[in-house]
Amino acid sequence: MTGTKAVVVACDIVTPYGWGIDSCWNGLLSKKTAIGRFDRFPTESFLTQNAAVVPGLTYGQDKSIVIKMLKPLLQKNISSIPEDTFLILATTTGEIDKLERHVLNETTDAASSRPDKLLEKILLLCGLGSSGIVVSAACASSSIAVAHAAGMIISGENDCVIVVACDSVSEFVFAGFSSLMALDKDMAKPFDRDRNGLSLGEASGFLLLMSELRASRENRSVIGEIAGWGLTNDANHMTGPSRDGSGLAMAIRKALKSADVSEKDIGCFSAHGTGTIYNDSMEIKALKTVFGNHKVPVYSIKGGTGHTLGAAGLLEIIIAFESLNKKIVPPTVNLCNIDNEASGWVSSEPLTVNGSVTISTNSGFGGVNCAVVLKKY
Amino acid sequence: MIVIKGIGWITKTEYGSIIKKLQGNYNDLKSLHSHLQHESVLKYAIKNFGRFDAASKMTCCSIALALNDAGITYSEHMKHDIGILGTNNNGCFESNLAYFKDYVSCGRTIARGNLFIYTLPSTPMAEPAIYFGFQGPLLYIKFQHNQIPSMLHYAGKMILRRETSKMIAVEASEEKSVCFVLGKQDNTSTMKTLSLEDIIDTIKKISDFDEIVIMLQRKGAM
Repeated sequence: MTGTKAVVVACDIVTPYGWGIDSCWNGLLSKKTAIGRFDRFPTESFLTQNAAVVPGLTYGQDKSIVIKMLKPLLQKNISSIPEDTFLILATTTGEIDKLERHVLNETTDAASSRPDKLLEKILLLCGLGSSGIVVSAACASSSIAVAHAAGMIISGENDCVIVVACDSVSEFVFAGFSSLMALDKDMAKPFDRDRNGLSLGEASGFLLLMSELRASRENRSVIGEIAGWGLTNDANHMTGPSRDGSGLAMAIRKALKSADVSEKDIGCFSAHGTGTIYNDSMEIKALKTVFGNHKVPVYSIKGGTGHTLGAAGLLEIIIAFESLNKKIVPPTVNLCNIDNEASGWVSSEPLTVNGSVTISTNSGFGGVNCAVVLKKY
Repeated sequence: MIVIKGIGWITKTEYGSIIKKLQGNYNDLKSLHSHLQHESVLKYAIKNFGRFDAASKMTCCSIALALNDAGITYSEHMKHDIGILGTNNNGCFESNLAYFKDYVSCGRTIARGNLFIYTLPSTPMAEPAIYFGFQGPLLYIKFQHNQIPSMLHYAGKMILRRETSKMIAVEASEEKSVCFVLGKQDNTSTMKTLSLEDIIDTIKKISDFDEIVIMLQRKGAM
């Protein structure tokens, strides 16, 4: 390790609230959800007809939904991305709508849906000549990618890394989650006693990380620091989390240790908070295991944005930095009746952040857990 | 220093390990599962093995061979601070196609959950993590070039960054798999190990999978 810090110098997102970080942040603070009825494909036979989609994107045409999100986003920000930047793409299904079109009407080559093909496109969109990698770890894909980007910088392997994350609402994914009975018939209500599943969402975004030294040399304004992380696996079940939250608790403890901070330093906590009965209960158990009686304000953005799968971690890290820098804990959208288990931890109202450190966590299929410690700079 | 403690490999018809020089033939993945149980490479049956996709079956079996090669024991009730990094050329492309074609053939009204769970590139790592009790980091990475050497380099870095104490690095597709157990050199152990840097240097010039296995066998015999 070099002793250098990994700092975030640029970021941007597109979410179901619209283009840019402000639209997402203001949407969450307005307590209005972006989840609603959508008409991309027939949904009558599924559990719900609701999802959170980015307004104005047309489905089923030549370009995939993720490219329709990423192209304007990256082109707008290309001047901030140095040519020697290493790229990490985080996604679960990428351009899966291309595979759908191949099976439904044979208008595309199915292999064009592969993540390595998307990686090549994003290298071009970012104007990068160097190589990159695709990281995929279910719903923790982009938080792990951000952690590893920081790891590459702290270890001196690279001094500039961009993490690009994306996933879309597709028939492929929607039908799958419906078959697993994982969707709320209405809308996701994280930490609510009447929660009954997640709502699917879509988003894309990027986070540009640099070594503190390079950021200073290039006069970059710093958004915050990726100070530490913990990665674990439940080793328990393919689609359900460990009921006692022990895997997530271990990830949070590892993250605190790696950032050299204590639980008392944490000002607020960005939970995965999908709105499924088992996930939210597991998370609160993990929090109680780590924090004991020291209750920190906890929030989930998924009642507003829906569950954006492989993009969720990056989106939540960006919102967590907004939260730290604005000193506001965003409200948990769609939370009406707090579950007894979560009482005193979550709120439907915005709160003040006390402190300069926060944690963002994600968990996913296969039992994967990721906790990332973020510091105000 | 990071070293390689064990290597397991599977081709279309053969399987083996490098340090213990195990080698055998098999007909299909079901018979491979039986062979490995019979030889105590698999300590107990893999639950639901029949419903796994082919990549998950290959991954589980090559990990069992590599752990056996490294002398690492496991049981149904033990969990380990071991991470798992997987790679291949296609992600879960074949499973994606199988799942969506099945869904369309059912009139686009109902999907099969047991096919859907294999539409994540990380699922072939998750199945063995559950079976072997791996509690370390779990992820899939698609590298642009030199898949196996890049994977070994990346897994070694994860140990150096103290993300976990040991890493399983596995490349698996429907027809072939090679798995490495990486860890820090233990000067008190008498178990034979291989230099990570030497193995990376040796195989980075080879693209053919069978040739990589032959080269690994030569290194193991030294």
